[in-house]
Amino acid sequence: MLLTATLFAPLAGALLVALVPAARQESARLVALAASLVTLGLAVVLAARFQTGDAGFQLGMTAEWVPAFGVSYRVGVDGVSLPLVLLTAVLTPLAIAGSWRMADRPRTYLALLLVLETAMLGVFVSLDLFLFYVFWEAVLVPAYFLIGSFGGERRVYAAVKFFVYTLLGGLLMLVGIIALFWLHQQATGTPTFDYEALVDFQKAPSTQRWLFAAFFAAFAIKTPVWPFHTWLPDAYTEAPTTTTVLLAGVMSKLGVYGFLRFALPLFPDGARWAQPVLLTLAVVGILYCALVATMQRDFKTLVAYSSVSHLGFIVLGIFAFNLQGLQGGVFYMVAHGLVIGGLFFITGMLEERRGTRRIEEFGGLQQVVPRMGGVMLVITLGSVALPGLVGFVGEFLTLLGAFLENRVYAVLATVGVILGAVYLLWAYQRMWHGPLEREENRSLPDLTRREWAILAPLVAAIIVLGLFPRPVLDRVEPSAQRVVEQTQAPSP
Amino acid sequence: MHPLAQATTQPLPLPEVDWRAIAPELALAVAGVVLLLVVAFWPRAGRGVLAGLTLAGLAAAAALTVWNWDLERVAFEGAVSLDGITRYARAVLLAVGALATLMVAQGDSREGEPDDSPPEVFPLLLFALLGMVLLAAASDLLVVFIALEILSLSLYVMAGETRRLAAQEAAMKYFLLGAFSSAFLLYGIALCYGATGSTNLLEIADATGDPTADGTLLLAGVGLLAVGFLFKVSAVPFHMWTPDVYQGTPTPVAAFMAAATKVAGFAVFLRVFAGALGGLVVSWRPVIAGAAVLTMLVGAALAVVQTDLKRMLAYSSISHAGYLLVGVAAAATVPAGVSASMFYLLTYAFMVMGAFMVVQYVSRLGPPDDDAIGERSSLEDYRGLARRHPWAAGLLAVFMLALTGIPPLSGFWAKYYVFLAGIEAGLTWLVVVAVISSVISAFFYLRVLVVAYLQEPVGDPGAETAPGRTPALGVALGLAGLLTVAIGLAPEALIAAARSAERILG
Amino acid sequence: MTSSEQAELIVFIILAPLAVVTALGMVLTRNAVYSALLLVVNFFCLAGFYVLLEAQFVAAVQVIVYAGAIMVLFLFVLMLLGIGNEVVVKEQMRGQRPAAVLLALGLLVAIVGALAAGVFDAEPASLAAANEGGNVEAIGRILFTRYTFAFETAGILLVVAAVGALVLGKRQP
Repeated sequence: MLLTATLFAPLAGALLVALVPAARQESARLVALAASLVTLGLAVVLAARFQTGDAGFQLGMTAEWVPAFGVSYRVGVDGVSLPLVLLTAVLTPLAIAGSWRMADRPRTYLALLLVLETAMLGVFVSLDLFLFYVFWEAVLVPAYFLIGSFGGERRVYAAVKFFVYTLLGGLLMLVGIIALFWLHQQATGTPTFDYEALVDFQKAPSTQRWLFAAFFAAFAIKTPVWPFHTWLPDAYTEAPTTTTVLLAGVMSKLGVYGFLRFALPLFPDGARWAQPVLLTLAVVGILYCALVATMQRDFKTLVAYSSVSHLGFIVLGIFAFNLQGLQGGVFYMVAHGLVIGGLFFITGMLEERRGTRRIEEFGGLQQVVPRMGGVMLVITLGSVALPGLVGFVGEFLTLLGAFLENRVYAVLATVGVILGAVYLLWAYQRMWHGPLEREENRSLPDLTRREWAILAPLVAAIIVLGLFPRPVLDRVEPSAQRVVEQTQAPSP
Repeated sequence: MHPLAQATTQPLPLPEVDWRAIAPELALAVAGVVLLLVVAFWPRAGRGVLAGLTLAGLAAAAALTVWNWDLERVAFEGAVSLDGITRYARAVLLAVGALATLMVAQGDSREGEPDDSPPEVFPLLLFALLGMVLLAAASDLLVVFIALEILSLSLYVMAGETRRLAAQEAAMKYFLLGAFSSAFLLYGIALCYGATGSTNLLEIADATGDPTADGTLLLAGVGLLAVGFLFKVSAVPFHMWTPDVYQGTPTPVAAFMAAATKVAGFAVFLRVFAGALGGLVVSWRPVIAGAAVLTMLVGAALAVVQTDLKRMLAYSSISHAGYLLVGVAAAATVPAGVSASMFYLLTYAFMVMGAFMVVQYVSRLGPPDDDAIGERSSLEDYRGLARRHPWAAGLLAVFMLALTGIPPLSGFWAKYYVFLAGIEAGLTWLVVVAVISSVISAFFYLRVLVVAYLQEPVGDPGAETAPGRTPALGVALGLAGLLTVAIGLAPEALIAAARSAERILG
Repeated sequence: MTSSEQAELIVFIILAPLAVVTALGMVLTRNAVYSALLLVVNFFCLAGFYVLLEAQFVAAVQVIVYAGAIMVLFLFVLMLLGIGNEVVVKEQMRGQRPAAVLLALGLLVAIVGALAAGVFDAEPASLAAANEGGNVEAIGRILFTRYTFAFETAGILLVVAAVGALVLGKRQP
């Protein structure tokens, strides 16, 4: 019940927001913020009730939905999904606070943000493949309208590209889900989409391969894995900043979470078969996107490419198939969500002040807005994985996992770490240091109290989780270990 | 001695008249005749009165359908059979008829203007529905033909009900091509009769199991039957009439055509192919599967380039016919194919009618357009609809997303069910083609939403005329929207009902 | 081949080309009156076929109803409306005509092939049994037993046709 309440609290909030009369649009912000904070509160209670050390699913709920198709409403959290639920619950109120000044149809915007939150939470907690698919596709609709209706100049192009790309992947996965369901029904006679039942069901290696390919289509596009990433820079750049925070912070995790939760345990043989391909794609993606990021002039696009590059590390960790890699992957998802959220928030704040995101328009900002510069430095260093900050733990663990599995890939990926430091620190240096050349930059105001309220939790989390990653890692470990065992399981 | 000769001196063995079996059809026929009389003797009866009477007739037919729900038998010496397909199609068709009545009642007229469409459209609607339910129940190829003619004749006239040149042209085209396809169907029936010695579907089913039956002749007959049916459900390559007709026809009639003709057409398609000709599945499945591939892809691809919403909906209906053909192709070997197709028809009918209702609403916003096309259904008219008419735009979004097949709307379950049946029947390649077509179709459904939501309104919003009071259309829109969402959230009962339609009596 | 069969064949050989030629002529001629008259000749040919098939009643109905009643009405309307104001139809799609001819030929080949494979070798069924007791009686019998339902529903079809004609006819241009 608790989990269901957490899941649908944002949706209820969205309905309330939509019911706010048009004349009183400001109160819509309060309603939306309240709904997202209630969700956060529920998520925190959920985390408090979570039994550390238990690898299985907890705090779940099961109900019939469409018994004719064997579809049920089945939700639950384990060590892998709990941190992601919390991440979603934390980032959404921040995104709503970030949209406080929005003048253009704030009601619609905030309602869509809340719908998006429910859909993304649903993906993380679904334990029924069909329910999972429903939430997976449901993410598309609010995201489409958020990008297409509120974004920048090329928003329509970006939104349609995003929608069609992800829909294609999703439908191919649907074919895979149906085939899996049908095979299971043929073998056992029970029609069910139950995750655990389908994981336990023995599948022939050849079947696993093409089923894995079907799931791969959806997850690789959503993550995105290079070369399926071309929708991402458009979508991230064109979307309004607070949407981008949720897209980059949470939605990009849906794909890697899908690999971890579904593709690996369901098709261990298929996953092992595809491992070299995925490791290669991950490393190519890390390097390629890092290089492309280096050449960007628009800071938002730079961050977008850096996001693809960093997601490569997560894929690398997950497909290392060992505890270090998987645990690190999950941790990195959280870390990446915090850091990339922070980067996009700062981008948005700069854009609000100056009306541009081009790197050369800035310079010497440290003198004008020192507090903002300090926050920016922490977040940037978190992103380039300075030891003691959150990024380091994730990156170290995933690289360690990759190293244990295949040294060549790990070494190549490490080059990506260096490139990451190069482009982010270089951009930081160009924007915040050097001479203060532009007149417009002299009179920029520093962080307001609202902006502090948004950035402070992120900065705190980046530092605290960097210094004390244990609480998270302890909760992730049993569940990650279970995935490792499922993946290593010998084929029948 | 021939059995007929024996009986020369005896009284005719008249068949038993099974009144109960055809009670809903009788109700429709009676209601149609009553309305004709009302129109003839009370020329000043308002559209509201006529619509009320029509709805009363539909309600009576619906009540009788419910009364007959558990009836399973073959009546009138095998002329009609009552089975799952019959009752499911009856229920869906009557619901579609009710929505169409509301749309027709709303009509095209603004406040204080006389309506262009004649009052006879109400009885014609009832007769068309009668033909459709009869078609779904027909168990004899002759009855199939007559029922098809009843519905087609009614629709030809309804299509040309207004004076608009486009409507006239549409009616003419529909008539000529419809007559053409009827000829194919009739020839097919003749050849089937020649090969099996019967027009009765049950007897044909027996004969196709008989190895001594004449194969080639029967196959030629089956091929021509397929052509006739493919014409009616507007499958590629027999789809050419659809866009012109849907675009030119008055919107309420186009909606009725798009939804109801498909329901009836696919019901008979399933009964004849999956039922009677199930034994020949090896021969006809490649043809139907090929037509399905062409229909899905061509429909979706051509819809992408349309700039008129009615025309786009016509192409979209073609591509939906393709998904349904996947169901038909699966139906002969897996029963789920039948129930999947029936469920698809149910959801599709409400989605597409809803979309046409929005078209009808939006076409009232501008000044009447007297040029050839007639109604205002160009995509340009939808620019910025979300800002001007948020409710209409919201419903449009629901219908478009449902047609795309986004969960948890009704269209998603329908698509899912058909895919499931296809995979069960071993037609995975066909399902993959369907997936590709779905992705293509997302382009054009989204484009409507792009125009309605993401583009700014053009011109002076003050120049727009008020839509006027639209009580009937409002109710219809509300119902269609509600059904599309509600079926999406709780499809169980209707799927179970579709499951009970799997058994075909013949 | 018996002499009666020979006679049948000769009549068929005369009637069949005539039927095809009149049908084509009906479509191709630009004068509506010629079209109507050619259609009458075509109907007579069809009636001849029915006689060959020992369906005397249908043949009679064909002549009386179609050629007699309907076509006379048709000609009457044509004369009333005045002839000569024909609409010149321009071809919309290039290459449509050759494509249509090709497809029609293909269909012809397919159907003739199917019939040739299925019919010409088969032993023709005798019509004697079916027509025993008289052709008219046989038709009446089957119409009121086996095909009662179809027969009755045809009534609805006629109602719809009448209403349709009314609606289309009373509309002001």
